[in-house]
Amino acid sequence: MPVSSRIIATAAVICFAGALLLAQGPAPRPRTVNAPPKPAGATPHAPDGHPDLTGVWNGLGDNLNGVPNQLANNGIVIESETAAHDLHGGQVVTVFPRNTNGAQNNEVAERAASLLRRSGSNRPIYKPEYWDMVKYNDHNANEEDPSNNCMPAGVPRGAIPSYIGQFPTYMMFVYPGQGGLIATQTMYRMIPTDGRKHTPLQELDGTYTGESIGRWEGDTFIVDSWGFNANTWFDQIGGYMHSENMHVIERFHRDGNTLTWTATVEDPDYLLEPWTTTPRVALLNPRPDAMLPESQPCSERDLAHTVTKEHH
Amino acid sequence: MRFSISALLALSLVTLPDLASAHHSIQAQFDIYKTITVAGTVARIEFINPHSYLTVNVKDADGKVTKWAFEMTGLAGLRRAGLSRADRGGLKPGDELTVIALAARDGSNSGLAQELKMADGRDFKLLADAPDAPPATSR
Repeated sequence: MPVSSRIIATAAVICFAGALLLAQGPAPRPRTVNAPPKPAGATPHAPDGHPDLTGVWNGLGDNLNGVPNQLANNGIVIESETAAHDLHGGQVVTVFPRNTNGAQNNEVAERAASLLRRSGSNRPIYKPEYWDMVKYNDHNANEEDPSNNCMPAGVPRGAIPSYIGQFPTYMMFVYPGQGGLIATQTMYRMIPTDGRKHTPLQELDGTYTGESIGRWEGDTFIVDSWGFNANTWFDQIGGYMHSENMHVIERFHRDGNTLTWTATVEDPDYLLEPWTTTPRVALLNPRPDAMLPESQPCSERDLAHTVTKEHH
Repeated sequence: MRFSISALLALSLVTLPDLASAHHSIQAQFDIYKTITVAGTVARIEFINPHSYLTVNVKDADGKVTKWAFEMTGLAGLRRAGLSRADRGGLKPGDELTVIALAARDGSNSGLAQELKMADGRDFKLLADAPDAPPATSR
């Protein structure tokens, strides 16, 4: 398996170890590239006519908690041992170290992967007075990342839930805790779809997942959320802090066995303009009897022992 | 103290594929060129995020027990190495063993476990080198 894929697959293995242990058949096969998967099969529909998003969305071997993988999450897709490109801008990206199974100094591999993750072009535009702080956050992420010590990833950093249960008046989203690029605890969201309106923002106490309201626009499921605390970042890497006035609009579109997700982040306090993630695609677990396994509890014991600022 | 720390410089490149995507960089916490060897008894084995942990009780000549904490690969990696339930050949508290690990850079009683040598002869290699890696010369 190519090294970069192995890195991703390994992270997935750490996260999905429970799934592998519990699997009664072949586990999802790790992919050797991380291009978004192509859809296959028909899209099921609920009795009310809307697409049915119900399912265990952890079907990718290189999948972290229903997220296709964290390299593609940050806008870089690796297609072969020698080819990678920026999904957002389309530019070719140099892949170093080479994406092969050859022996490598892990120190080099880790640093190269860190740089590769940061080569994507799709980045939020902060007001100039906050540029230094965002850079500081990223540089000092071992200490500054508010989620890395087993706290919730929050919204939209949690990205695509690993389980969605669709019911007539609400959706249930489950996000297992991660042990990959960041260490987070399990998170769930119960999202009403009964037509209710948001509580006025100033009446809400900020929380990690905010107040989320769901609705359909055609075949796309929209989740509109506000009422967050300021204790999360809104992408996997980059130190992207936000205020309590963040407003997030997520879009979920099911096509057969794939679920495409984007999130648009509005933050009038910190951002010059709304920012939309590069689309991420999750794959349905192909097993007809797929179950979401127990998520391992999270206990962070390492950060007190780190002696340099290196991180992912 | 009974445990011996043999700081062996790895002459070959060390590869740690199974922890490459840990939530922090390996080299921020561990010296990838320095190996330690610690003998003791298993106190606790925990399958948790973000890393599994093995706690070892190390007794010195006076009978004083010091705890050592060893970070390990994820569950699947442990299982591949043959470590799962104690009755399927895994560890249980009280088992005597020797741990070969990468040293903690902060000098604490901790490390990144590479190999567990059990008193009864079982040998668990947790962080295998890449298939075409040059042979390790340090262990």
